[in-house]
Amino acid sequence: MIKNKLAKVVFGSTFLTAVMVPAMAMAAESGTSVADLDPAVGVAKYAAAGASMCIAAMSAAYAQSRIGAAGAGTLAERPEAGTTLIVLMALPEVIVLLGFVIAFMIQA
Amino acid sequence: MSTAPTETTRRIGSRGRDYGYSNARIRGMRSRLLKQAFFDDLMTAPDIGAVIHKIMDTEYGPDLEDRILHGRTATQVDEALKDNMVRTFAKVMSVSNDEARRLLTTLLGRWDLFNIKTIIRGKHMSFPDEVIIDSLITVGQLTQVDAEELAKQESVKSVVDTLATWGLPFAVPLREVLPDYNENADLSVLELALDRYYYEWAVRRLKGRRANNRLARTFLSIQVDTLNLLTCLRLLSSDLPPEDVLRFFLPGGDRVTEELFASLSAMSDVDEVFQRLKRTPFGSILEQVAITYIEKGSISVFERALEDYLFRKAFATSKGDPLGIGISISYLWAKANEVTNMRIVVKGIAVGMPVERMREELIVV
Repeated sequence: MIKNKLAKVVFGSTFLTAVMVPAMAMAAESGTSVADLDPAVGVAKYAAAGASMCIAAMSAAYAQSRIGAAGAGTLAERPEAGTTLIVLMALPEVIVLLGFVIAFMIQA
Repeated sequence: MSTAPTETTRRIGSRGRDYGYSNARIRGMRSRLLKQAFFDDLMTAPDIGAVIHKIMDTEYGPDLEDRILHGRTATQVDEALKDNMVRTFAKVMSVSNDEARRLLTTLLGRWDLFNIKTIIRGKHMSFPDEVIIDSLITVGQLTQVDAEELAKQESVKSVVDTLATWGLPFAVPLREVLPDYNENADLSVLELALDRYYYEWAVRRLKGRRANNRLARTFLSIQVDTLNLLTCLRLLSSDLPPEDVLRFFLPGGDRVTEELFASLSAMSDVDEVFQRLKRTPFGSILEQVAITYIEKGSISVFERALEDYLFRKAFATSKGDPLGIGISISYLWAKANEVTNMRIVVKGIAVGMPVERMREELIVV
């Protein structure tokens, strides 16, 4: 139950960060140059970029922990499946990459 | 009661309800189960030496290596198969998480029940200790050492006393009915008390709203239903009064209720039972073997059909949640099925049984 709640919180936070924060940040800066920005907006952008990266990394870690546990079990019984498992372990890294791109877009 | 009927030791393993690791391992183990082609090949082996050679290349190899040091006989191969089954079940339990271990311990209690009933039957019939020990499969919580110690007791009473001394809950129902047994020397009194006690305990222990509890409970209820149905079929020609018939009813079933049990037992022949069960899952199963029953005239035909049904239901439990208890249940029953089939083939070859006859005897492959 706790794990399910954690998963929901992580998913929800990632969604909000990925969709809402960049939208808000972009809305704030529309029609203004970087020099005209309110300092508070600048701080918000840094915070949003950090949160985006951080939550994406945590989500990937959560996914990798689950895949890793199952992968360890599979490797113990079928060592020949090692290569496939490395690919599966690497897949959640895409989430971090997306977080990084979003953080970069917020900053740009 | 919160502990398993024969739980004597605490095992070390993963905690919580994370099925990722255990189910991945069990899936890996399942991939090594023997295929139909292997059995086809094994059945054509000319002698036990060839059987040993073929089995040596499988999962059973290490167990067989240990056993054939005592002789290259069918008995030793049989022992090796049982050793492998015990080792595999213990391995599944050791990799399972807390929840899975609790559920599996409950379901595997039927093996403890089987072992204790076997010992009691052996003592009742005054069989030699070795014969009783050879018939035991200690894949439940009762260890081989415990089971052998029980089998070495002098009488049924000593077995019950030993169980009570060890503080095992199976002693409770046995002690209650021991005076009846001593008076009438009726073994069914003891067996019935054990059955009722185990299934009541298991139903209580599997209560809960979690999907895994529900799945385990459903599977247990199918077991109880098949047992009750089989009892009904055996009671068809018994002419027992209804109140005596209900003595044989086991609690915990889903489809075969107490009323249905009573009405089925009161029927005059198998045809009537077919008609009554037509709209239940058991109707088609019994109908499929009806012709064989007419040819052979033996109730064992139905026993076999219901056993097949139970195994198929066990295998089907893995088709649900990939991170649930179904994977473990399915694997354990598939393993038990495989060992049973291997033992049939080994014994068949040892006594020169024709291939077709062996094929008929195999349960589900």
